[in-house]
Amino acid sequence: MPEELAIRIENLSITYKVSLEAKRTLKNAVMRASLKQKERTRMIEAVKGLTLDVPHGSVLGIVGSNGAGKSTLMRCIAGILSPTEGRVIVNGKISTLLALGVGFNPALSGRDNIILGGLASGLNMEEIADKTDEIAAFAALPDGFIDLPVRTYSSGMYGRLSFAVAVSMTPDILLLDEALSAGDAAFKEKSFERMRELCAEARTIVIVSHALATVTDLCDTAIWMHKGALVAKGKPQEIVDDYLKFLNVGSLPSNYEDM
Amino acid sequence: MPVNEGFVPKIQVFEPHRASLPPLIPYIKEFWTRRAFATELARFSDKAEYLDSRLGKVWLVLNPLLLGLVYYLVVTIIRPGGTLPGMTRLDHLLIGLFTFYFAQNCVTAGALSITAGGRLILNQAFPRALLPFSCAIQSFQQFIPTIPVYIFVLVAGKWAYPTTIVPGWTWHFLWIPFILICAGITGFGLALVFATLNVYFRDTTKLLTYITRIWMYLSPVLWLPSSLRGNMKILLWVNPLGPVLSATSRVWVSGESLNKSTILGCILWAAAAMMIGGYFFISRERDFAIRI
Repeated sequence: MPEELAIRIENLSITYKVSLEAKRTLKNAVMRASLKQKERTRMIEAVKGLTLDVPHGSVLGIVGSNGAGKSTLMRCIAGILSPTEGRVIVNGKISTLLALGVGFNPALSGRDNIILGGLASGLNMEEIADKTDEIAAFAALPDGFIDLPVRTYSSGMYGRLSFAVAVSMTPDILLLDEALSAGDAAFKEKSFERMRELCAEARTIVIVSHALATVTDLCDTAIWMHKGALVAKGKPQEIVDDYLKFLNVGSLPSNYEDM
Repeated sequence: MPVNEGFVPKIQVFEPHRASLPPLIPYIKEFWTRRAFATELARFSDKAEYLDSRLGKVWLVLNPLLLGLVYYLVVTIIRPGGTLPGMTRLDHLLIGLFTFYFAQNCVTAGALSITAGGRLILNQAFPRALLPFSCAIQSFQQFIPTIPVYIFVLVAGKWAYPTTIVPGWTWHFLWIPFILICAGITGFGLALVFATLNVYFRDTTKLLTYITRIWMYLSPVLWLPSSLRGNMKILLWVNPLGPVLSATSRVWVSGESLNKSTILGCILWAAAAMMIGGYFFISRERDFAIRI
Protein backbone atom coordinates (compact mmCIF):
# COMPACT_ATOMS: atom_id res chain seq x y z
CA MET A 1 0.00 0.00 0.00
CA PRO A 2 1.37 3.48 -0.83
CA GLU A 3 2.80 5.19 2.26
CA GLU A 4 0.61 8.29 1.89
CA LEU A 5 -2.57 6.26 2.36
CA ALA A 6 -4.20 5.77 5.75
CA ILE A 7 -6.99 3.48 4.52
CA ARG A 8 -7.31 1.43 1.36
CA ILE A 9 -10.56 -0.36 0.66
CA GLU A 10 -10.47 -2.84 -2.21
CA ASN A 11 -13.69 -4.17 -3.72
CA LEU A 12 -15.24 -4.53 -0.28
CA SER A 13 -18.49 -6.42 0.14
CA ILE A 14 -20.13 -7.23 3.44
CA THR A 15 -23.07 -9.59 3.45
CA TYR A 16 -24.73 -11.11 6.45
CA LYS A 17 -27.73 -13.15 7.32
CA VAL A 18 -30.35 -11.84 9.72
CA SER A 19 -33.07 -13.86 11.36
CA LEU A 20 -36.66 -12.80 10.71
CA GLU A 21 -37.89 -14.69 13.77
CA ALA A 22 -39.47 -12.53 16.47
CA LYS A 23 -37.40 -14.21 19.19
CA ARG A 24 -34.13 -16.06 18.72
CA THR A 25 -34.40 -18.62 21.49
CA LEU A 26 -33.28 -22.20 22.00
CA LYS A 27 -36.92 -23.08 22.63
CA ASN A 28 -37.96 -21.79 19.19
CA ALA A 29 -34.99 -23.53 17.57
CA VAL A 30 -35.98 -26.86 19.14
CA MET A 31 -39.63 -26.34 18.15
CA ARG A 32 -38.61 -25.58 14.56
CA ALA A 33 -36.34 -28.62 14.45
CA SER A 34 -39.12 -30.89 15.76
CA LEU A 35 -41.52 -29.56 13.11
CA LYS A 36 -38.77 -29.80 10.46
CA GLN A 37 -39.12 -26.10 9.72
CA LYS A 38 -36.27 -23.85 8.65
CA GLU A 39 -35.45 -20.54 10.30
CA ARG A 40 -36.74 -17.58 8.29
CA THR A 41 -33.69 -15.52 7.36
CA ARG A 42 -32.77 -12.76 4.98
CA MET A 43 -29.43 -11.93 3.40
CA ILE A 44 -28.41 -8.30 3.83
CA GLU A 45 -25.88 -6.87 1.40
CA ALA A 46 -24.74 -4.03 3.62
CA VAL A 47 -21.74 -3.00 1.46
CA LYS A 48 -21.38 -3.88 -2.23
CA GLY A 49 -18.07 -3.79 -4.10
CA LEU A 50 -16.76 -0.58 -2.57
CA THR A 51 -13.29 0.66 -3.49
CA LEU A 52 -11.80 3.73 -1.84
CA ASP A 53 -8.48 5.28 -0.80
CA VAL A 54 -8.18 7.70 2.11
CA PRO A 55 -4.87 9.57 2.41
CA HIS A 56 -3.23 10.52 5.73
CA GLY A 57 -4.31 13.89 7.10
CA SER A 58 -7.63 13.96 5.29
CA VAL A 59 -11.17 14.18 6.59
CA LEU A 60 -13.60 11.96 4.74
CA GLY A 61 -17.31 12.49 5.23
CA ILE A 62 -19.84 9.77 4.49
CA VAL A 63 -23.44 10.68 3.74
CA GLY A 64 -26.36 8.46 2.90
CA SER A 65 -29.82 7.48 4.03
CA ASN A 66 -30.54 4.97 6.77
CA GLY A 67 -29.52 1.49 5.66
CA ALA A 68 -26.91 2.82 3.22
CA GLY A 69 -24.18 0.74 4.88
CA LYS A 70 -22.26 3.65 6.45
CA SER A 71 -21.98 2.19 9.95
CA THR A 72 -21.18 -1.29 8.60
CA LEU A 73 -18.40 0.22 6.49
CA MET A 74 -17.00 2.07 9.51
CA ARG A 75 -17.07 -1.09 11.62
CA CYS A 76 -15.24 -2.97 8.90
CA ILE A 77 -12.53 -0.27 8.73
CA ALA A 78 -12.21 -0.57 12.53
CA GLY A 79 -11.83 -4.36 12.26
CA ILE A 80 -15.04 -4.98 14.20
CA LEU A 81 -16.77 -6.70 11.27
CA SER A 82 -15.13 -9.01 8.80
CA PRO A 83 -15.35 -8.45 5.02
CA THR A 84 -17.26 -11.03 3.01
CA GLU A 85 -15.22 -10.16 -0.08
CA GLY A 86 -12.37 -7.79 -0.81
CA ARG A 87 -10.15 -6.32 1.87
CA VAL A 88 -9.43 -3.28 3.99
CA ILE A 89 -5.89 -2.14 4.74
CA VAL A 90 -5.43 0.31 7.57
CA ASN A 91 -2.15 2.11 8.23
CA GLY A 92 -2.20 3.47 11.77
CA LYS A 93 -3.75 3.23 15.20
CA ILE A 94 -7.53 3.54 15.16
CA SER A 95 -9.78 5.20 17.68
CA THR A 96 -13.51 4.88 17.28
CA LEU A 97 -16.69 6.50 18.39
CA LEU A 98 -19.28 4.37 16.66
CA ALA A 99 -21.80 4.25 19.50
CA LEU A 100 -22.22 6.79 22.27
CA GLY A 101 -21.35 5.90 25.83
CA VAL A 102 -19.19 3.08 24.65
CA GLY A 103 -18.07 0.60 27.26
CA PHE A 104 -19.34 2.77 30.05
CA ASN A 105 -20.56 1.06 33.19
CA PRO A 106 -23.14 3.47 34.68
CA ALA A 107 -22.38 2.38 38.25
CA LEU A 108 -18.72 3.40 37.95
CA SER A 109 -17.26 6.90 38.03
CA GLY A 110 -16.25 8.82 34.92
CA ARG A 111 -12.59 8.30 35.88
CA ASP A 112 -13.03 4.50 36.10
CA ASN A 113 -14.83 4.49 32.76
CA ILE A 114 -12.05 6.49 31.11
CA ILE A 115 -9.57 3.85 32.32
CA LEU A 116 -11.72 1.03 30.91
CA GLY A 117 -12.28 2.84 27.60
CA GLY A 118 -8.56 3.56 27.28
CA LEU A 119 -7.51 -0.01 28.07
CA ALA A 120 -10.05 -1.41 25.59
CA SER A 121 -8.58 0.80 22.88
CA GLY A 122 -5.09 -0.53 23.59
CA LEU A 123 -3.51 2.17 25.79
CA ASN A 124 -1.58 1.25 28.93
CA MET A 125 -2.31 2.49 32.46
CA GLU A 126 0.42 5.16 32.43
CA GLU A 127 -0.82 6.65 29.15
CA ILE A 128 -4.38 6.72 30.47
CA ALA A 129 -3.37 8.25 33.81
CA ASP A 130 -1.67 11.08 31.88
CA LYS A 131 -4.82 11.73 29.87
CA THR A 132 -7.59 11.42 32.47
CA ASP A 133 -7.59 15.07 33.59
CA GLU A 134 -7.21 16.26 30.01
CA ILE A 135 -10.26 14.16 29.00
CA ALA A 136 -12.33 15.47 31.94
CA ALA A 137 -11.38 19.04 31.03
CA PHE A 138 -12.20 18.54 27.34
CA ALA A 139 -15.57 16.98 28.19
CA ALA A 140 -16.23 20.11 30.30
CA LEU A 141 -17.61 18.07 33.20
CA PRO A 142 -18.70 20.21 36.18
CA ASP A 143 -16.38 20.14 39.21
CA GLY A 144 -16.15 16.77 40.93
CA PHE A 145 -18.32 14.94 38.36
CA ILE A 146 -15.34 12.96 37.11
CA ASP A 147 -15.44 10.96 40.36
CA LEU A 148 -19.22 10.49 40.43
CA PRO A 149 -21.04 7.49 38.91
CA VAL A 150 -21.77 7.96 35.22
CA ARG A 151 -25.48 7.27 35.87
CA THR A 152 -25.64 10.72 37.51
CA TYR A 153 -24.50 12.41 34.27
CA SER A 154 -26.84 14.25 31.92
CA SER A 155 -27.04 12.84 28.38
CA GLY A 156 -24.94 15.77 27.16
CA MET A 157 -22.19 15.06 29.69
CA TYR A 158 -22.29 11.38 28.76
CA GLY A 159 -21.91 12.16 25.06
CA ARG A 160 -19.16 14.73 25.63
CA LEU A 161 -17.21 12.25 27.75
CA SER A 162 -17.50 9.58 25.02
CA PHE A 163 -16.24 12.02 22.41
CA ALA A 164 -13.43 13.25 24.65
CA VAL A 165 -12.22 9.67 25.24
CA ALA A 166 -12.22 8.91 21.50
CA VAL A 167 -10.28 12.03 20.45
CA SER A 168 -7.81 11.88 23.31
CA MET A 169 -6.39 8.48 22.43
CA THR A 170 -3.95 10.14 19.97
CA PRO A 171 -5.31 8.06 17.11
CA ASP A 172 -3.76 8.02 13.66
CA ILE A 173 -7.23 7.33 12.31
CA LEU A 174 -10.39 8.52 14.03
CA LEU A 175 -13.71 6.96 13.04
CA LEU A 176 -16.77 8.92 14.17
CA ASP A 177 -20.40 7.99 13.73
CA GLU A 178 -23.04 10.61 14.56
CA ALA A 179 -20.88 11.77 17.42
CA LEU A 180 -21.24 15.48 16.95
CA SER A 181 -24.86 15.54 17.96
CA ALA A 182 -23.64 14.88 21.51
CA GLY A 183 -22.96 18.39 22.73
CA ASP A 184 -24.30 21.91 22.46
CA ALA A 185 -23.11 24.52 19.94
CA ALA A 186 -20.07 25.48 22.06
CA PHE A 187 -18.97 21.86 22.42
CA LYS A 188 -19.54 21.24 18.72
CA GLU A 189 -17.19 24.13 17.91
CA LYS A 190 -14.64 22.74 20.37
CA SER A 191 -14.89 19.28 18.85
CA PHE A 192 -14.41 20.76 15.34
CA GLU A 193 -11.34 22.55 16.64
CA ARG A 194 -9.95 19.32 18.10
CA MET A 195 -10.54 17.48 14.84
CA ARG A 196 -8.79 20.20 12.87
CA GLU A 197 -5.82 19.85 15.24
CA LEU A 198 -5.78 16.11 14.61
CA CYS A 199 -5.73 16.75 10.86
CA ALA A 200 -2.89 19.25 11.23
CA GLU A 201 -0.92 16.44 12.87
CA ALA A 202 -1.53 14.33 9.73
CA ARG A 203 -4.11 12.21 11.46
CA THR A 204 -7.04 10.96 9.43
CA ILE A 205 -10.71 11.27 10.23
CA VAL A 206 -13.65 9.42 8.72
CA ILE A 207 -16.98 10.82 9.80
CA VAL A 208 -20.53 9.66 9.23
CA SER A 209 -23.05 12.40 9.75
CA HIS A 210 -26.62 13.24 8.95
CA ALA A 211 -25.78 16.85 9.83
CA LEU A 212 -24.70 17.83 6.31
CA ALA A 213 -23.24 21.14 7.49
CA THR A 214 -20.68 19.12 9.44
CA VAL A 215 -19.58 17.39 6.25
CA THR A 216 -19.20 20.64 4.30
CA ASP A 217 -17.51 22.48 7.18
CA LEU A 218 -15.05 19.84 8.23
CA CYS A 219 -14.39 17.39 5.42
CA ASP A 220 -12.09 17.76 2.43
CA THR A 221 -13.63 14.79 0.60
CA ALA A 222 -17.03 13.16 0.85
CA ILE A 223 -18.67 10.00 -0.40
CA TRP A 224 -22.35 9.24 -0.80
CA MET A 225 -23.50 5.70 -0.17
CA HIS A 226 -26.84 4.24 -1.15
CA LYS A 227 -28.00 0.70 -0.35
CA GLY A 228 -24.44 -0.46 0.24
CA ALA A 229 -22.94 0.97 -2.95
CA LEU A 230 -20.79 4.01 -3.55
CA VAL A 231 -22.87 6.53 -5.53
CA ALA A 232 -20.40 9.38 -5.75
CA LYS A 233 -17.12 10.68 -4.40
CA GLY A 234 -15.91 14.25 -4.59
CA LYS A 235 -15.84 17.66 -2.99
CA PRO A 236 -18.11 17.79 0.08
CA GLN A 237 -20.30 20.64 -1.20
CA GLU A 238 -20.98 18.87 -4.51
CA ILE A 239 -21.73 15.56 -2.83
CA VAL A 240 -24.03 17.18 -0.29
CA ASP A 241 -25.85 19.12 -3.06
CA ASP A 242 -26.35 15.91 -5.07
CA TYR A 243 -27.49 14.06 -1.97
CA LEU A 244 -29.96 16.80 -1.04
CA LYS A 245 -31.30 16.78 -4.59
CA PHE A 246 -31.77 13.03 -4.30
CA LEU A 247 -33.60 13.46 -1.00
CA ASN A 248 -35.95 15.97 -2.60
CA VAL A 249 -36.40 14.32 -6.00
CA GLY A 250 -35.73 10.70 -5.10
CA SER A 251 -33.66 9.82 -8.14
CA LEU A 252 -30.00 8.85 -8.19
CA PRO A 253 -27.50 10.62 -10.50
CA SER A 254 -27.59 9.41 -14.11
CA ASN A 255 -24.01 8.14 -13.89
CA TYR A 256 -24.83 5.97 -10.83
CA GLU A 257 -25.02 2.80 -12.92
CA ASP A 258 -21.44 3.42 -14.12
CA MET A 259 -20.01 3.68 -10.61
CA MET B 1 0.13 15.55 3.17
CA PRO B 2 3.33 14.18 4.71
CA VAL B 3 3.07 11.91 7.66
CA ASN B 4 4.01 13.66 10.89
CA GLU B 5 7.20 12.96 12.78
CA GLY B 6 6.86 10.24 15.34
CA PHE B 7 4.02 8.61 13.48
CA VAL B 8 4.54 4.88 13.79
CA PRO B 9 2.63 3.09 11.04
CA LYS B 10 0.88 -0.03 12.05
CA ILE B 11 -0.58 -1.79 9.06
CA GLN B 12 -3.56 -4.00 9.60
CA VAL B 13 -5.22 -5.99 6.86
CA PHE B 14 -8.82 -7.13 7.27
CA GLU B 15 -9.80 -9.92 4.90
CA PRO B 16 -12.49 -12.59 4.84
CA HIS B 17 -11.55 -15.56 6.99
CA ARG B 18 -10.59 -18.34 4.63
CA ALA B 19 -10.78 -20.96 7.33
CA SER B 20 -13.39 -20.09 9.91
CA LEU B 21 -10.70 -19.08 12.40
CA PRO B 22 -8.74 -15.81 12.19
CA PRO B 23 -4.91 -16.12 12.33
CA LEU B 24 -4.41 -17.43 15.87
CA ILE B 25 -0.93 -16.11 16.69
CA PRO B 26 -1.85 -12.41 16.15
CA TYR B 27 -5.09 -13.07 18.05
CA ILE B 28 -3.26 -14.52 21.06
CA LYS B 29 -0.65 -11.71 20.94
CA GLU B 30 -3.41 -9.10 20.91
CA PHE B 31 -5.17 -10.94 23.74
CA TRP B 32 -1.98 -10.90 25.80
CA THR B 33 -1.24 -7.23 25.03
CA ARG B 34 -4.67 -6.21 26.28
CA ARG B 35 -4.76 -8.47 29.33
CA ALA B 36 -4.72 -5.38 31.58
CA PHE B 37 -8.16 -4.55 30.18
CA ALA B 38 -9.49 -7.90 31.42
CA THR B 39 -7.96 -7.54 34.88
CA GLU B 40 -9.16 -3.96 35.32
CA LEU B 41 -12.62 -4.83 33.99
CA ALA B 42 -12.77 -7.63 36.59
CA ARG B 43 -11.67 -5.24 39.34
CA PHE B 44 -14.16 -2.55 38.34
CA SER B 45 -17.02 -5.04 37.87
CA ASP B 46 -16.32 -6.35 41.35
CA LYS B 47 -16.33 -2.79 42.68
CA ALA B 48 -19.59 -1.95 40.86
CA GLU B 49 -21.27 -5.12 42.11
CA TYR B 50 -20.83 -4.23 45.78
CA LEU B 51 -21.01 -0.43 45.44
CA ASP B 52 -24.66 -0.13 46.47
CA SER B 53 -24.51 -2.79 49.17
CA ARG B 54 -24.24 -1.63 52.78
CA LEU B 55 -22.13 -4.61 53.77
CA GLY B 56 -20.01 -4.25 50.60
CA LYS B 57 -17.34 -6.86 50.19
CA VAL B 58 -18.30 -8.58 53.46
CA TRP B 59 -20.75 -10.43 51.20
CA LEU B 60 -17.77 -12.11 49.55
CA VAL B 61 -17.30 -14.00 52.86
CA LEU B 62 -20.91 -14.10 54.04
CA ASN B 63 -22.26 -15.49 50.77
CA PRO B 64 -20.17 -18.69 50.66
CA LEU B 65 -20.55 -19.19 54.41
CA LEU B 66 -24.35 -19.01 54.28
CA LEU B 67 -24.38 -21.16 51.15
CA GLY B 68 -22.28 -23.78 52.92
CA LEU B 69 -24.61 -23.69 55.91
CA VAL B 70 -27.69 -24.17 53.72
CA TYR B 71 -26.25 -27.18 51.92
CA TYR B 72 -24.90 -28.63 55.16
CA LEU B 73 -28.38 -28.51 56.66
CA VAL B 74 -29.78 -30.08 53.49
CA VAL B 75 -27.35 -33.00 53.44
CA THR B 76 -27.45 -33.65 57.18
CA ILE B 77 -31.26 -33.68 57.17
CA ILE B 78 -31.47 -35.88 54.06
CA ARG B 79 -28.63 -38.21 55.01
CA PRO B 80 -27.64 -37.85 58.65
CA GLY B 81 -24.58 -39.66 59.88
CA GLY B 82 -22.12 -40.80 57.21
CA THR B 83 -18.63 -42.18 57.35
CA LEU B 84 -16.67 -39.00 58.00
CA PRO B 85 -15.82 -38.13 61.61
CA GLY B 86 -16.67 -34.81 63.33
CA MET B 87 -17.09 -31.86 61.04
CA THR B 88 -15.09 -33.40 58.17
CA ARG B 89 -18.26 -33.80 56.13
CA LEU B 90 -18.87 -30.04 56.35
CA ASP B 91 -15.24 -29.35 55.39
CA HIS B 92 -15.55 -31.56 52.31
CA LEU B 93 -18.81 -29.88 51.38
CA LEU B 94 -17.50 -26.35 51.87
CA ILE B 95 -14.30 -26.63 49.86
CA GLY B 96 -16.10 -28.59 47.13
CA LEU B 97 -18.83 -25.98 47.02
CA PHE B 98 -16.37 -23.07 46.89
CA THR B 99 -14.35 -24.67 44.09
CA PHE B 100 -17.52 -25.61 42.20
CA TYR B 101 -18.89 -22.06 42.52
CA PHE B 102 -15.58 -20.64 41.28
CA ALA B 103 -15.92 -22.67 38.07
CA GLN B 104 -19.68 -22.11 37.87
CA ASN B 105 -19.29 -18.32 38.23
CA CYS B 106 -16.74 -18.37 35.39
CA VAL B 107 -19.40 -20.03 33.23
CA THR B 108 -22.51 -18.08 34.23
CA ALA B 109 -20.91 -14.62 34.30
CA GLY B 110 -18.90 -15.40 31.16
CA ALA B 111 -22.04 -16.56 29.34
CA LEU B 112 -23.55 -13.10 29.80
CA SER B 113 -20.39 -11.13 29.10
CA ILE B 114 -20.83 -10.77 25.33
CA THR B 115 -24.49 -9.77 25.27
CA ALA B 116 -23.87 -7.42 28.21
CA GLY B 117 -20.84 -5.86 26.50
CA GLY B 118 -22.91 -4.75 23.50
CA ARG B 119 -21.75 -1.14 23.13
CA LEU B 120 -18.12 -2.03 23.69
CA ILE B 121 -18.38 -4.72 21.02
CA LEU B 122 -20.10 -2.38 18.56
CA ASN B 123 -17.47 0.27 19.08
CA GLN B 124 -14.07 -1.36 19.34
CA ALA B 125 -12.10 -4.18 17.81
CA PHE B 126 -10.40 -6.32 20.43
CA PRO B 127 -10.25 -10.05 21.10
CA ARG B 128 -13.75 -10.69 22.42
CA ALA B 129 -12.49 -13.59 24.56
CA LEU B 130 -11.18 -10.88 26.92
CA LEU B 131 -14.73 -10.36 28.20
CA PRO B 132 -15.36 -13.93 29.46
CA PHE B 133 -11.71 -14.00 30.58
CA SER B 134 -12.37 -10.97 32.72
CA CYS B 135 -15.30 -12.85 34.30
CA ALA B 136 -12.97 -15.77 35.07
CA ILE B 137 -10.57 -13.37 36.82
CA GLN B 138 -13.44 -11.83 38.78
CA SER B 139 -14.65 -15.30 39.80
CA PHE B 140 -11.15 -16.14 41.03
CA GLN B 141 -10.99 -12.87 42.99
CA GLN B 142 -14.29 -13.79 44.61
CA PHE B 143 -13.01 -17.31 45.36
CA ILE B 144 -9.94 -16.06 47.28
CA PRO B 145 -11.85 -14.85 50.40
CA THR B 146 -13.46 -18.29 50.71
CA ILE B 147 -10.08 -19.85 51.61
CA PRO B 148 -9.83 -18.14 55.04
CA VAL B 149 -13.52 -19.01 55.58
CA TYR B 150 -12.68 -22.67 54.94
CA ILE B 151 -9.65 -22.57 57.25
CA PHE B 152 -11.71 -20.90 59.98
CA VAL B 153 -14.46 -23.54 59.75
CA LEU B 154 -11.82 -26.29 59.73
CA VAL B 155 -10.12 -25.01 62.89
CA ALA B 156 -13.41 -24.25 64.65
CA GLY B 157 -14.70 -27.72 63.73
CA LYS B 158 -11.60 -29.35 65.19
CA TRP B 159 -12.00 -27.33 68.39
CA ALA B 160 -15.69 -28.26 68.73
CA TYR B 161 -15.37 -31.87 67.51
CA PRO B 162 -11.83 -33.19 68.10
CA THR B 163 -12.43 -36.20 65.81
CA THR B 164 -12.60 -33.85 62.79
CA ILE B 165 -9.83 -34.68 60.29
CA VAL B 166 -7.36 -31.79 59.94
CA PRO B 167 -4.41 -32.58 57.72
CA GLY B 168 -1.15 -31.09 58.99
CA TRP B 169 1.18 -29.27 56.62
CA THR B 170 2.09 -31.45 53.66
CA TRP B 171 3.82 -30.80 50.36
CA HIS B 172 0.72 -32.25 48.70
CA PHE B 173 -0.90 -28.86 49.21
CA LEU B 174 1.25 -27.73 46.28
CA TRP B 175 -1.36 -29.46 44.11
CA ILE B 176 -3.85 -26.74 45.05
CA PRO B 177 -2.67 -24.18 42.43
CA PHE B 178 -2.82 -26.95 39.80
CA ILE B 179 -6.41 -27.80 40.80
CA LEU B 180 -7.49 -24.14 40.73
CA ILE B 181 -5.85 -23.50 37.36
CA CYS B 182 -7.61 -26.56 35.89
CA ALA B 183 -10.95 -25.46 37.42
CA GLY B 184 -10.49 -21.92 36.04
CA ILE B 185 -9.50 -23.09 32.55
CA THR B 186 -12.39 -25.58 32.41
CA GLY B 187 -14.81 -22.87 33.55
CA PHE B 188 -13.41 -20.35 31.05
CA GLY B 189 -13.60 -22.87 28.19
CA LEU B 190 -17.23 -23.65 29.00
CA ALA B 191 -17.96 -19.92 29.37
CA LEU B 192 -16.76 -19.44 25.77
CA VAL B 193 -19.29 -22.04 24.58
CA PHE B 194 -22.23 -20.56 26.51
CA ALA B 195 -21.29 -16.94 25.73
CA THR B 196 -21.42 -17.79 22.01
CA LEU B 197 -24.69 -19.69 22.36
CA ASN B 198 -26.20 -16.77 24.25
CA VAL B 199 -25.49 -14.43 21.33
CA TYR B 200 -27.53 -16.68 19.03
CA PHE B 201 -30.16 -17.85 21.53
CA ARG B 202 -30.97 -15.33 24.23
CA ASP B 203 -32.63 -17.86 26.54
CA THR B 204 -29.37 -19.83 26.95
CA THR B 205 -28.66 -18.27 30.34
CA LYS B 206 -32.10 -19.31 31.59
CA LEU B 207 -31.32 -22.89 30.63
CA LEU B 208 -27.88 -22.51 32.19
CA THR B 209 -29.49 -21.95 35.61
CA TYR B 210 -30.90 -25.49 35.49
CA ILE B 211 -27.80 -26.97 33.86
CA THR B 212 -25.54 -25.68 36.63
CA ARG B 213 -27.91 -26.92 39.34
CA ILE B 214 -27.99 -30.43 37.87
CA TRP B 215 -24.24 -30.17 37.30
CA MET B 216 -23.67 -29.55 41.00
CA TYR B 217 -25.82 -32.50 42.09
CA LEU B 218 -23.84 -34.72 39.70
CA SER B 219 -20.52 -33.43 41.09
CA PRO B 220 -18.75 -34.78 44.18
CA VAL B 221 -19.73 -31.81 46.32
CA LEU B 222 -22.75 -32.97 48.31
CA TRP B 223 -21.47 -36.55 48.22
CA LEU B 224 -18.04 -38.18 48.45
CA PRO B 225 -16.24 -39.51 45.34
CA SER B 226 -15.64 -42.76 47.27
CA SER B 227 -19.39 -43.27 47.74
CA LEU B 228 -19.85 -44.14 44.05
CA ARG B 229 -20.01 -47.84 43.22
CA GLY B 230 -19.67 -49.80 39.97
CA ASN B 231 -20.79 -48.07 36.78
CA MET B 232 -21.75 -44.94 38.69
CA LYS B 233 -18.04 -44.10 38.93
CA ILE B 234 -18.28 -42.88 35.36
CA LEU B 235 -19.97 -39.75 36.78
CA LEU B 236 -16.54 -38.62 37.94
CA TRP B 237 -15.14 -38.73 34.41
CA VAL B 238 -17.98 -37.53 32.16
CA ASN B 239 -18.42 -34.46 34.35
CA PRO B 240 -15.98 -31.67 33.31
CA LEU B 241 -15.43 -30.82 36.99
CA GLY B 242 -15.46 -34.43 38.23
CA PRO B 243 -11.66 -34.92 38.35
CA VAL B 244 -11.06 -31.39 39.71
CA LEU B 245 -13.56 -31.83 42.54
CA SER B 246 -12.25 -35.32 43.40
CA ALA B 247 -8.79 -33.77 43.55
CA THR B 248 -10.10 -30.90 45.71
CA SER B 249 -11.51 -33.22 48.34
CA ARG B 250 -8.39 -35.41 48.30
CA VAL B 251 -5.88 -32.61 48.74
CA TRP B 252 -7.77 -30.05 50.87
CA VAL B 253 -9.62 -32.43 53.20
CA SER B 254 -7.36 -35.49 53.38
CA GLY B 255 -3.99 -33.85 52.58
CA GLU B 256 -3.25 -36.70 50.15
CA SER B 257 -1.43 -36.58 46.83
CA LEU B 258 -3.22 -36.99 43.48
CA ASN B 259 -3.13 -40.19 41.50
CA LYS B 260 -2.19 -40.19 37.83
CA SER B 261 -5.70 -40.75 36.52
CA THR B 262 -7.07 -37.74 38.44
CA ILE B 263 -4.23 -35.51 37.21
CA LEU B 264 -4.82 -36.69 33.65
CA GLY B 265 -8.58 -36.18 34.03
CA CYS B 266 -8.07 -32.57 35.23
CA ILE B 267 -5.70 -31.78 32.35
CA LEU B 268 -7.82 -33.46 29.67
CA TRP B 269 -11.04 -31.71 30.67
CA ALA B 270 -9.29 -28.32 30.88
CA ALA B 271 -7.69 -28.86 27.44
CA ALA B 272 -10.93 -30.13 25.88
CA ALA B 273 -13.00 -27.23 27.30
CA MET B 274 -10.45 -24.68 26.04
CA MET B 275 -10.12 -26.22 22.59
CA ILE B 276 -13.85 -26.71 21.99
CA GLY B 277 -14.81 -23.40 23.62
CA GLY B 278 -11.97 -21.51 21.94
CA TYR B 279 -12.83 -22.82 18.47
CA PHE B 280 -16.56 -22.25 18.90
CA PHE B 281 -16.08 -18.70 20.22
CA ILE B 282 -13.22 -17.36 18.10
CA SER B 283 -14.61 -18.71 14.84
CA ARG B 284 -17.84 -16.78 15.48
CA GLU B 285 -16.71 -13.66 17.29
CA ARG B 286 -16.63 -11.46 14.16
CA ASP B 287 -20.33 -12.22 13.89
CA PHE B 288 -21.12 -10.86 17.36
CA ALA B 289 -21.34 -7.20 16.28
CA ILE B 290 -24.09 -8.15 13.82
CA ARG B 291 -26.04 -10.38 16.18
CA ILE B 292 -26.01 -8.11 19.23
